Amino acid sequence: MSAAGTLAARAPTDRVLWLVAPAAMFMLLLFIYPFVYGLILSFTPPQGDWLANYRKFFTTDNLWPTIWTTLKLALPATIINVGLALPIAFMMRVKSRYQRWITTILVVPITLGTVLIAEGMLTYFGPKGWLAQFLQLLHLYDGPIRLTHNYTGVLISLVISGFPFAFLLILSYITGIDPVLARAASTLGAGPREQFRHIYLPLLAPGLAMCFCLAFVQAYSVFPSAVLLGAPAGPTRVISIAAYEAAFEQYDYSLASAIAMIMGFVQLIIVAAVLGLRSALYRGPVSGGKG
Amino acid sequence: MKHDFRELKLDRVTRRFAGAGGHAFNALDELSITIRRGEFIALLGPSGCGKSTALNCIAGLLALSGGTIHLDETRIDTLPPEKRGFGMVFQNYALFPHMSVEKNIGFGLRMRGVPAADIASRVAHAVKLVQLTGQGHKLPGQLSGGQQQRVAIARAIVIEPPLILMDEPLSNLDAKLRIETRAEIRRIHNELGRATIYVTHDQDEALSLADRIVVMKDGVVQQIDTPHQIYAQPANVHVARFMGYRNLLALDVAREGSDGVDLAGADIRLTGVRRQAGSGPRAAVAIRPEEITLGEGPGGRNTIAARVEHVEYCGRDSLVDVVTASGTRLHVRAVTAPAPGADVHVHVAPERVLVYPPEAA
Repeated sequence: MSAAGTLAARAPTDRVLWLVAPAAMFMLLLFIYPFVYGLILSFTPPQGDWLANYRKFFTTDNLWPTIWTTLKLALPATIINVGLALPIAFMMRVKSRYQRWITTILVVPITLGTVLIAEGMLTYFGPKGWLAQFLQLLHLYDGPIRLTHNYTGVLISLVISGFPFAFLLILSYITGIDPVLARAASTLGAGPREQFRHIYLPLLAPGLAMCFCLAFVQAYSVFPSAVLLGAPAGPTRVISIAAYEAAFEQYDYSLASAIAMIMGFVQLIIVAAVLGLRSALYRGPVSGGKG
Repeated sequence: MKHDFRELKLDRVTRRFAGAGGHAFNALDELSITIRRGEFIALLGPSGCGKSTALNCIAGLLALSGGTIHLDETRIDTLPPEKRGFGMVFQNYALFPHMSVEKNIGFGLRMRGVPAADIASRVAHAVKLVQLTGQGHKLPGQLSGGQQQRVAIARAIVIEPPLILMDEPLSNLDAKLRIETRAEIRRIHNELGRATIYVTHDQDEALSLADRIVVMKDGVVQQIDTPHQIYAQPANVHVARFMGYRNLLALDVAREGSDGVDLAGADIRLTGVRRQAGSGPRAAVAIRPEEITLGEGPGGRNTIAARVEHVEYCGRDSLVDVVTASGTRLHVRAVTAPAPGADVHVHVAPERVLVYPPEAA
């Protein structure tokens, strides 16, 4: 025991460990310091006691509902993204001639900024957009088309920008699962559906939870598309808009920091809940024995 | 899916793959064999010889490019693997990492909709058969390689398949465990009484386990025979080389008659027996090191004079390399090894000098 203790004590003198220093520095300067600064700022309002900002947020009628407004956008968007990406990534798991092409096409939106996507959507989905013109030309649907400047518009843009991310993440999880496991299952009588249910899904579950968390955090901080494609005064007044208004219209950085903290806290609750569920699942190697 | 059968018939089973530069090559070329109930068949050959391809074709994991497979009267090569119901043991075991040993073993039964009570009793029986009692609740990651191997075997046999397919199941085990598990596999085969097809590159495994051995090279079957015939009477030079005939000499045919073939080299005169038909003045001659003896033969026949070059002590005996005056090297196994540099005579019985057509240069 003492020998092991000495060894363990000597281990940190490994000079290779210094290689983490730049990254740690980076984290400290660009993440931890601003976070702590904002946290302190949120508890030091210009007027009132240290909880005044938080009290204001939860008692003002155009502030506290933004939590739910954002959740109502971010949760469905995340569920759609993960739910769509899973079957498509599953079909793309086998290397084929088309895999590269389809993957490339699916991933393209990740290279576009959210603003660019919003611009495109306004042209395409707008009341006089290509989609409306096309449908009216073929007399498929003659009623008014309202897919922008409302909830639907923001949801669609969240799916377009969030899907490639979820898809790539899930694809990498799926291709990490040893395909010989599915073959073993098939020799034991499992058809494609059972292979998915009994082999892939349980092994993917932890990865799906992770993917859900990341996609959710991304969707919950939606801002440009909520402004450009939504109704920022009403149904898509998301929490980041509230923070923006506090900071740059009322110049109340302290309140804006408090809103940002609340936003982070909501994200943390959802992530913790999903990861809590994940800990109930199998987490271990995804190959079937000695390589 | 059937549990019992009389015979599995492979008729000119072929599998082509697209190779480099768009050239298709036959990984498996017209394999035909009929396997009867109760038989233990080994597919033997070096890596890349098509033995695993053959196994995957039988399992249904690879589609055939040609030929048919029948289980009794049913054509099965068009069925997906889950409809064939053969048990398969994979080289890296392919245990489901998220399921306990019992869940792994019971998987095939669950897929077949067997009632839970039956599953429990059959899994318990299989666990006992592979001697893993008490390990049932562990995850595969908590088991040793040998134990994982036995779970894989139990998982394949618990569904009572007509046919068990094994793809180099012992290659990940250490030498001692390999010999133990080998005996275990044969015991389980005898107990089930169905048929086993066993892929290996290890001739010892094939010889000790199989009722019949299929020797393959470059996708083509070289010989299908009993272990004894494969060992003593290889059908061609490739099989001979693979079965440990380390002395392969290129000699001239001096005379060929019904009583044997007289062969001549620079300073070698030998009489042998023809194993594979061939004509022409040259021949390839295969002799196993164990069958060359130090000393002169009866009447000085089939005797070669040589000098000891190198002696490798192997415990039970020694591997002696001798070189003739013209530089032909022979490998000899001898219980008492002569000193390096000594001049010796070696001889070999004519019926153990196997004569084949010459190998293409």
